[in-house]
Amino acid sequence: MKTLSYLLISVFALSFSLSSQAASIYAGQSKAAAVCAQCHGIRSTSAEAPFPPLAGRDEEYLESALKQYRNKTRISEIMNNIAGSLSDRDINNIASYYSRLKP
Amino acid sequence: MELTITTLKKSILAASIAVLFGSGHAFAKSDDQHKMHQLYQDNCASCHGADHGGYLAPALNSETLKGRSPTALRTLIMTGSFETLMPPFFGRLSDSDIRNMVKHLQTTPKLDNPPWTLQDMKASLKVYVKDVSKLPNKPTFKIDSMDDIIGVAARGKYGRGQGSEAVFINSKTHTIIGKIPTVTAAHIIDFDPANERWAYVKTDTAEIYKVDLYTMQAVRSIKTGWNGPGMGVSRDGKYIMAGSFVPHNAVILDAETLEPLKMFELEGIDPDGKKVSSDSGMIIGTPYADIFAIALENAGQVWVVDLKDGFPVTKIKNVGRHLHDAFLTHKGKKLMVASYDDSIVTAIDLEKRKIIKKLKAGCVPHVGGGAAVKVDGRVLGFGTNFGTCEKTVVSVWDLDKMELVKQIPVSGGTESPAAHANAPYVAVDIITKDRRARTVQLIDKKSLEVVKTLDVGGHAYFPEYSADGKFLYISAGYAGDEVVVYDSTSLKKTANIQMESPAGIFSRGRVKYMTRGLSPDEME
Repeated sequence: MKTLSYLLISVFALSFSLSSQAASIYAGQSKAAAVCAQCHGIRSTSAEAPFPPLAGRDEEYLESALKQYRNKTRISEIMNNIAGSLSDRDINNIASYYSRLKP
Repeated sequence: MELTITTLKKSILAASIAVLFGSGHAFAKSDDQHKMHQLYQDNCASCHGADHGGYLAPALNSETLKGRSPTALRTLIMTGSFETLMPPFFGRLSDSDIRNMVKHLQTTPKLDNPPWTLQDMKASLKVYVKDVSKLPNKPTFKIDSMDDIIGVAARGKYGRGQGSEAVFINSKTHTIIGKIPTVTAAHIIDFDPANERWAYVKTDTAEIYKVDLYTMQAVRSIKTGWNGPGMGVSRDGKYIMAGSFVPHNAVILDAETLEPLKMFELEGIDPDGKKVSSDSGMIIGTPYADIFAIALENAGQVWVVDLKDGFPVTKIKNVGRHLHDAFLTHKGKKLMVASYDDSIVTAIDLEKRKIIKKLKAGCVPHVGGGAAVKVDGRVLGFGTNFGTCEKTVVSVWDLDKMELVKQIPVSGGTESPAAHANAPYVAVDIITKDRRARTVQLIDKKSLEVVKTLDVGGHAYFPEYSADGKFLYISAGYAGDEVVVYDSTSLKKTANIQMESPAGIFSRGRVKYMTRGLSPDEME
């Protein structure tokens, strides 16, 4: 329990200091597991998969790419639909989570 | 509440994808049946069954898919299905192939069991190393004891291809020693009890690889059927027995060469008096005698095969309705068999070859590798239960008296328990398909209560202790893509080992203690 509270405190500290909007890597983790990981994996994608890995990618890049997919300025049949289901906060959280993962 | 919201969001997501993808394209005019059949065999059959009758995954045929929206099915194939092993085929299969596949599935009836004969088996035998006597006679890597080896069945995201391999790990250093590519998903790993250098890996498509652990390479392989997880090794290491779901048979192989010796057609009278042809359930060799025991799932029988001339069979009938897996206790003389449909675990005396007692279990008992532990002078068995029912429990039985001690409430359905004489907890994997699937619960051996829940990640399943009991290995399966290692006592995370969609974990220590949790003394 102690470790958990310590972790939570450091996560909050981290997210407040590194991001203007308070992104939560915990919320990002659970959203990523539910929406992204099936194709993109967590740390790496399948050797056989045609999907790019996301772990360790630049946070701002991930965020802008997801927003482009969402508003369809970047076209992909599948990504336009998936990103279309995400809120600003979701995108923020997901980008924050994946960018901090070691590939 | 959390659950409802997540589910709702997911259905909205699925629905929006479905609407956007389903914008009125008609199917291609000519549906090349042959091409679709091949595409099905190459991409779907290992999980959904070569006969379209289902295996690890649901049956896909004109009957089971009647009335399902083709658009929804197409979406499901493209995106995969969350919280299952179904991978996304977007980008792997062309859009027209996916559309034609949906049509193919909705018009194909369940096929008859395709045959796989002794001749087919013989023709499938492959030899990778001709003369094994020229191989080094000790491990080519540093290891204190070969019992420290843990094998993990890595499925690969697509159940086939580069990610599908048996991964062997040194459970003291948590480093990978070797990887054996298996083409399709590795499912079961068994170790030769008599010669530490051999291991046997069975895949989802029923190939058995004979692996030389000293040099970490496959020396031979044979295809024993179309699918089915059953495999056992005899106590002297001379025979392998393998059983299939498709077709309904089992075979004894010469372990040295993997040559098939005798085939058994699996059929019999079930407890309701009906003559049925049956899937092969568990197959087990025991340290107490030169026999194999095999469960006939649908016939509800356990057959005991003597490993002597002609391989004679003793049939034990009326064991239960829909048998599946089992574990050994009492020096290997007693066998505990799980029976899905009547929620019992049946204790069998292998010496007298008869039923001792039918013990109450939870809903849809699935004992996995089984676990038994000596606590305060009595041997306790722990039984997991697959079903997600109103009350989810782990059963504890006194295996000396053969009676139920307790039904311990746990947070969901469970599939596989792990125990060790030197570890304080019995670990059970929660498999209920929501966030609980990320977790493993720990039962205190003494108090018989859940004392801790580990958030492992992915779809956490198949816990296994290292041979010395110091570490607990757990697969963060599905999209989790790693094996997570915990210190057995402090429960601190010690290591993560990356691989694609890991599933079953098998310690070589198992040959020493027969059933996880028993001490090696129990075997004397």
